[in-house]
Amino acid sequence: MDEVFKALADPTRRELLDRLFEQDGQTLSALEERLPMSRFGVMKHLKVLEGAGLVTTRKRGREKLHFLNPVPIRLIHDRWVSKYAEPWASALSELKKDLESSENEENEEDER
Amino acid sequence: MNDEQAYTVVGGRGAMTVFEIYIKTTPERLWEAITSEQMRKRYSFGVGTVSDWSEGSEYKAAVPGVVEIAGGKNLEVDPPRRLVQSFTALWSEDVRREGESRVTWEIEPVGTSCRLRVTHDQLSETANNELYGGWPMILSGLKTLLETGEDLDTPGSLRYSGAAG
Repeated sequence: MDEVFKALADPTRRELLDRLFEQDGQTLSALEERLPMSRFGVMKHLKVLEGAGLVTTRKRGREKLHFLNPVPIRLIHDRWVSKYAEPWASALSELKKDLESSENEENEEDER
Repeated sequence: MNDEQAYTVVGGRGAMTVFEIYIKTTPERLWEAITSEQMRKRYSFGVGTVSDWSEGSEYKAAVPGVVEIAGGKNLEVDPPRRLVQSFTALWSEDVRREGESRVTWEIEPVGTSCRLRVTHDQLSETANNELYGGWPMILSGLKTLLETGEDLDTPGSLRYSGAAG
């Protein structure tokens, strides 16, 4: 978990994650174009993100694609946030259910 | 080996997501947790997955009589390392319209732990994010179950577990 926080402590690396969040599965060249930084700089930061498990890569054809792996952040969430979120989440899902069921009823009425 | 696997785009469905987690367990236990209906229920929104897990067999994830979540075929079954499944989401009209995609589970031992990678690909470029949005929660719950023997009870993670079957 230390590595995750260290990786996230740098604004450029957060920016890289933002770019992957917008569009997952990018090549080094595509990421380089989107950041005011040398190829070497992007590589260096990607390496830190990969080491922390926040970025993972897959090959497709000849391309090496970089993906945002949100799981370590989910683990942080589950460790500290979950108990606070519980009542809200259940209340919200009830609300969603109510809204959706009344919406369905309305739709059914429209169809009639 | 896994790093070298080349993914291909099928029918213009080029979008792909990758989820990775390290779990302190053995490949055999991890494989069991993925393929056992009862264990699966404990970290997949309370929903079990049923199959005979032979290559080419069908699988179905559902709470019988309450909700159908997903179904498809087991395209490659190589315990305890690799499982490739076709995936059709069934939980709503919206996701049903997305059609078939593919999920690859890869287990690799690393020291006394395992790295589990779930690659969800052959998704359309405009795929509904509900299709793959549940994976982080599922994998977090799987890690908790294998490492502590307890259920992860974060919001939504056991959503259907109280549902009558």
